[in-house]
Formats: sequence, structure tokens, C-alpha cells
Amino acid sequence: MSGRRFGLALLALASIGFLPPAHHAVFGADQTPQQQIESRLMCYCGCSDLTVRTCTCGVAASIRDEIAERLGRGETSEQVVAAFIARYGEKILSAPTKQGFNLVAWVAPIVAFFVAAVAIVFLVRRWGRPHGAGAGARRGGSATGGPPPATLTEEERILLGRIEREIREGH
Amino acid sequence: MADFGTLCLLIALTTCGWAILASCNGWRVQSGTLVLSAERAIHVTWALVTLGVISLEYCIHANQFDLEYVASYSNRTLPWLYKVAALWAGQSGSILFWLFILASYAALIVLLNRRRNRTLMPIVVTTLAAVELFFLLLVNFMTRPFVRLAVPPVDGGGMNPQLQNPFMAIHPPCLYLGYVGLTVPFAFAIAALVTGRLDNTWFRTTRRFTITSWFILGTGILLGGWWAYVELGWGGYWAWDPVENASLIPWLTCTAFLHSVMIEERKKMLRVWNLALVIMSFELAILGTFITRSGIISSVHSFTKSEVGPLFAGFLGISVLISVALLLHRLPLLRSEHRLDSFVSRESTFLFNNLLLVGAAFAVLWGTLFPILSEAVRGVKITVGPPFFNEMMIPITFGLVTLAGICPVIAWRRATPRKLLEKIQIPFWSLVGAAAALLIAGVRDVYALVSFSLCAFVIVTTVMEFVWGTRARQKVTGEAPGPAFWGLVDRNKRRYGGFVVHLAVMMILIGITGSSAFKQDATASLRRGESFSLGPYTMRFEAMTSREDPNFDFQGARLAVSRDGRAVGTLLPGQNFYKTRGQETSTEVAIRHSLREDLYLILISFDPQEGRVTLKAYLNPLINWIWIGGAMLILGSWLAMLPDLRDRRRDAEARLRDAA
Repeated sequence: MSGRRFGLALLALASIGFLPPAHHAVFGADQTPQQQIESRLMCYCGCSDLTVRTCTCGVAASIRDEIAERLGRGETSEQVVAAFIARYGEKILSAPTKQGFNLVAWVAPIVAFFVAAVAIVFLVRRWGRPHGAGAGARRGGSATGGPPPATLTEEERILLGRIEREIREGH
Repeated sequence: MADFGTLCLLIALTTCGWAILASCNGWRVQSGTLVLSAERAIHVTWALVTLGVISLEYCIHANQFDLEYVASYSNRTLPWLYKVAALWAGQSGSILFWLFILASYAALIVLLNRRRNRTLMPIVVTTLAAVELFFLLLVNFMTRPFVRLAVPPVDGGGMNPQLQNPFMAIHPPCLYLGYVGLTVPFAFAIAALVTGRLDNTWFRTTRRFTITSWFILGTGILLGGWWAYVELGWGGYWAWDPVENASLIPWLTCTAFLHSVMIEERKKMLRVWNLALVIMSFELAILGTFITRSGIISSVHSFTKSEVGPLFAGFLGISVLISVALLLHRLPLLRSEHRLDSFVSRESTFLFNNLLLVGAAFAVLWGTLFPILSEAVRGVKITVGPPFFNEMMIPITFGLVTLAGICPVIAWRRATPRKLLEKIQIPFWSLVGAAAALLIAGVRDVYALVSFSLCAFVIVTTVMEFVWGTRARQKVTGEAPGPAFWGLVDRNKRRYGGFVVHLAVMMILIGITGSSAFKQDATASLRRGESFSLGPYTMRFEAMTSREDPNFDFQGARLAVSRDGRAVGTLLPGQNFYKTRGQETSTEVAIRHSLREDLYLILISFDPQEGRVTLKAYLNPLINWIWIGGAMLILGSWLAMLPDLRDRRRDAEARLRDAA
């Protein structure tokens, strides 16, 4: 596995799941349209920062009743949610919509993440490059710079000496 | 006593001011006497602030309702423990408490560094005292805890019933200890930048403090979750509300620092980044306090009405400016040779770990602050709630968990792909095996499948680290497995403490996944003798019971509970009706705990005329693994904090050098 492929694999792993929508995973129990609408609306009782799905106060109960009534009348989920927005404003939604200025809320963290990821890949590649002759010698990449490192075996030392001699003699 | 407290806080202001002047000047003119005087002033300030705290506690316990604070947050029947906790129940008290913790940390730091880090200490003292001074200005002039009422009431209003829970009594101190603790690494970072002593000393000294603050903050967050779970009565433990987010954000940046500091230690790289992380964690802790104290999230307009909001914003702005200016000024000194031997190395996985952790902190911060931005730009109030944070955090968490699985098996500097593949084989097949087993068991939720399988991957990788290490030690020393294991852990507590923390986080993740993906709930309205079911449980309503306490009246519904037809006991969900505070109520949930799941019952309402109760039941699978993981997190952090043999040797060498 080359370094670049490994880096790409890491990036891919690190960004697992950015693509599919994750909101259904939060509550495995959000199966019915009623429950899904409840999770999309905040309870405005003022006693807590909870969704209608989780709040146990009387206000949440009355909102739940209204959702059930509207669904019973044949309204779609979107119509029910729209009716609540019309009455209480956008604040009743538990998450910003994915349109207009609100899209910034969703996109900014992802853009920042990928920009930072690209910057890291760039830095790592730069830091991975040998720096000048000294670095080259450390990596054993240059036969001309500096004395041979002490860790070489006797055999390697002889070989290296021969190569240097050949280079000097112009072979 | 109130006047005494006021006086103490006023004198503390002057001693703290003196500490700043003396230590700063002492450093400038290299006067040991001045520096010593400043350090003594820190101790005196601590004593005075402590006396201030004792005065307020005395007033609370002596029911001095002529004080506005005591009248607002205590009453005659409030139990002793909650009277102690009343100190942090309101704004002015909690700022005084914050100041007390900071003063205690400062005094401790001065005490521990009497003979160590002498070049850094004057600036450390200046920085700590400067932060202290800000809070002293607040308690003396803005949020004064000893304000008297013109007409004192006969009895106080009492504490908010939801705060009357033993966990609430320890959760805020834990959070504060964590938050305020971040000031210490910050002070050392500033001192290193000011003095130009940017060698390894500052982070070695502060690493232990950072781990301490990190783990106390983490414990505070978990205790907050537990409190929400048992007291708030909505069946969950985390609602992504701004106050919770404010505590999570610095914890995430702190976690990033604890990882990236290892690269600095080994390779002298990322020095600017590590300093930036320490500074960021402190600023985010202040930002968190600002968010929770200014009311800015509920509305931009409440910010201007808030007494402390603009002051916090000012303090935050100034401290960020100074830190950034110092960092830029010292940039030439901080330049280090950045070299990575290979992309396939532990260093690079740590870089991605930092990316994810800081990315997570940014996403949470962004989501928390976005309502302000929206109101400012569009004039429309919006809510950024659980769906947003879940959608952001689930992928980031998966990425982090994957790295936690890969990282331990990748060597420092350069990992050979062959060796890596060899080492990762067993964990990888455990991942595949776990996924297959879950599929066969009928798990179809994609996120639960990914989460559990990744947890299996990390757990196996981590456990194998222990196994390999023990085997290697056995070969070298010829010890039996038990002693070899203890010897291994004892010699490298940081490494294996870190692994225990990783295992703990996996436990927590298993708990979070189980309790969110497979949560079930049911609501029922019952008469005596009627029953309702949820999952394998059946609950039969037997009778209403009541109990009187000096502070409140309790009304509860007794339910006989059976699991798969077998009786497992009775549960008593109820409500407390507080005698003061206008009959305010609090929900008293009843929970049947087990490792497999919790049955969680809430009494929503009862109608005495009809003899009918309305109940909500939740089934929270695997939730207790969160708290087990929490206990393990504490254990692992302790292990990592204990001094290693290597550390002890290094300390001894440093002492010898200093003596020479």
C-alpha cells in the first residue's frame, strides 16, 4: 500500500457516512410519520430544549394530538410541518432547513473539514519530502554528500566506496 | 457575615492586583523578592476568596433571607447538602464559586512550583492572577453575591426542584473544576511564549494538569448526562442544548491536545499547533461560560440586557488578541523541522485524529452559535437542535473510532505495510464477524451496524495491544502472565492508561448506539388493575401512594412490573410537589436498571377523581454501558496520570540539574 493510497483510505474512512442522511439513525424508534414529525418539531413549552417527541409536558402532548389529528385528516407530513411553521415561525423546527441562508449551517462545517483535510494531506506530503543534502544522506538517497553513515555494514561500505570512485572517474 | 464576605472580596481585589504588578515587574527586573511577594499575594487572595465563600455558605445555612441570593436560592426546609450546593445555584454564587476554584488552582500551582519552573513562574502567576482579577471585578461590582433586600422575606424561595438531586450537587463543581483547570495549561503556555522558553518544560509540566482537567471535565459531562437521565424525566441523557455543548467543545480540543502533544514529545513537531490548542481550550471554556451566562443563545437581545455578557465578550476578545499576538511574535522561535518519515505512520493518524476532534469541536460550536448568526443576518430566530448535531457528529465519531482502531497498530515514524496488514488482520476479521453476527441477529439499522462493528474492531485492537505487550514481556523477563501484565502496565502507565480510556469510550459508544437506535417508548392512561406493555415488559398499575417530606409532598403510582411474564418487582414513578416556589413540581422517574436495558417510567399526570394515571415508559437498551464506560474512563485517566518510571527518572534528573 503506497503512502498516498493509505492517506486516501484514511480520509475515506474518516469521512464514512458523510453522504447518506443520518437523521433516521438517531431514533431507531422514529418509524411512523407521526413520530418523524414529532422529532422535527421543538416543544415551545419553555421548560426545556426538547423535541415534541421527547418532551413530556402538556404542551408537547397537545402538539402530538394536533399532529395526529392533521395526519388523520389526510395532510402530508410536509403540510403538517408547514402549518406549525406558519403559526410559530421557523424556530419550531428542531434543525435548520437545507435551503437559503440556512444551508450555510450545514455546509460550513463540512467545507471547513475538507479544506483542513486537504491542508493536512498537503502538509504531510511536504513534510515527507527530503530536506536538502543532509536529509538525503540520512535517507541514504545521495551517494555524494557527506561521509557514509556508521550503521552500514562492511560490505555496504565497500560498495558505496566503489560507487563514489566510479562517479568521480566519470563512468 | 455578609459584610465580612464583601470586605474579603474587596481586599482580595487589591492583593490580586498586587500579585499581577509584583510578578510582572519581578520578572522584568529579575527580582526574586518581588516574585516571592506576588506568590504570597496569590496565597492571601486564595484565603480571602475562601473566606468570601465561607461567608456566603454561612449566610445560606443561617437562613439570612435579608440577602437577595439566599432568599432566591434557599429556604428553611432545604436539606443541608442542597444548602451547600445553593452556592452554585445562581449566577452571582456560581461566579464566586468559579473564582474560588481558580484561586485554589493558582495557590496550588504556586505551592507545587516553589522550586520548579522558576523562569516561567512569574508570568504563570501574572496570567493566573489576571484571570482571577477579571472574576474578582465581576463579584465585586457586577454580580455581587452579598446584596441586601430592603424588605427581607420570612422564608426563601427555595432551590429549583430540578437542581435538588445529589448528582446536581456534584456535576457543576466537576464541570467548573474541569473548565477552570484549563486556565493552568493556558497560563504555562502564555509564560512559555512570553519568556521564550519554548522547550519541552512547559508541556511536560502542564500535561498532567491538562489530563486532570480533561478527565474532570469529562466526568462532569457524564455526571450531567446522568443527572439529566434520572432527574429531567424525558428518557434521555443528552439533548444538545447550548449549555451541554459549551462543556463538550473544550473537552474535544483538549482531547486533540492530549494526542498531538505526543508528536511534539517524540518529534519536536507541531509546537505552534499544540500551543494553539491549549490557548483554544481555555478560550472555549471562557466562551462556554459566556454562552451560558449571557443568555445570548436564547436571543441576541438578551445579551445586551445581561449584566455580564458584554464583560465576558470583552475579556474573551482581549485574551484572544494577547494570545494570538504572542504566538505570532514567537513564531520564529517555534519553527521546528517538520519531518514525516512516511504517510503510513502513527504521526499521520494523529494528524487526522486532530482534524476530526477539532472538526467536531468546530461543528458543535458552529451549530451552537448559528442561531445568533441567523438572527443577526436574516432577523429570523431558528433552532439548531439534535438532528443537526447527530448528522454532523455521527460520521465524525465513526472516523475517530476507526482511527482509534488503526492507530495503536501503526508504528511511529514508518510502518511497513506488510507488518500493518499482519497486525490488523485479527481486528479486521472481528469487525467483519461482528457485522455478520449482528446481521444474523436481525440488526438492520445501518448506523448501529457500523457503530457496533467499529467498536468490536477497536476493542479487539486494544485488547491485543495488552496481549502482545504481555507476551513480549514474558519472553524477556520469563514472568508468569499475571506479573508480566502488571509489569507492562506499571512501566508504561500513560500508554496503557490511554488504551483503557479508549476501551471506556467504546463502552460509552456502545451505550449511546444501543440507547438511541433501539429505543422504544409507549404512553398509556390506566385505571387501577389495568396494565400496558413495552417490549418484553408489562406494567400493572396497583395504587397511588403519597409521602410527606418537610420540603415537598410526593405522589407516586405503584406499578407491578413483569418481564416476559415473570414478576421482577415494583416501580414507583411519581412527582414531587414543592411546598415553596408556588407548588412547583419535579418528575421523579422510576428506573429498573440492567446491563441489557433500562425500563424507565415517568408519571405524566394523575386524575384523583377518576383514579386514572398517565404514564410514559421508555426501553433504553444498553444504556448502562455509558455509565460503566464512564467509570472506566476515570480509571484509565487515573492510570495515565500516575507517574511512570520514566517520568520519575526524568524528574529526578531535572532536580539534579536544577541543584547543580
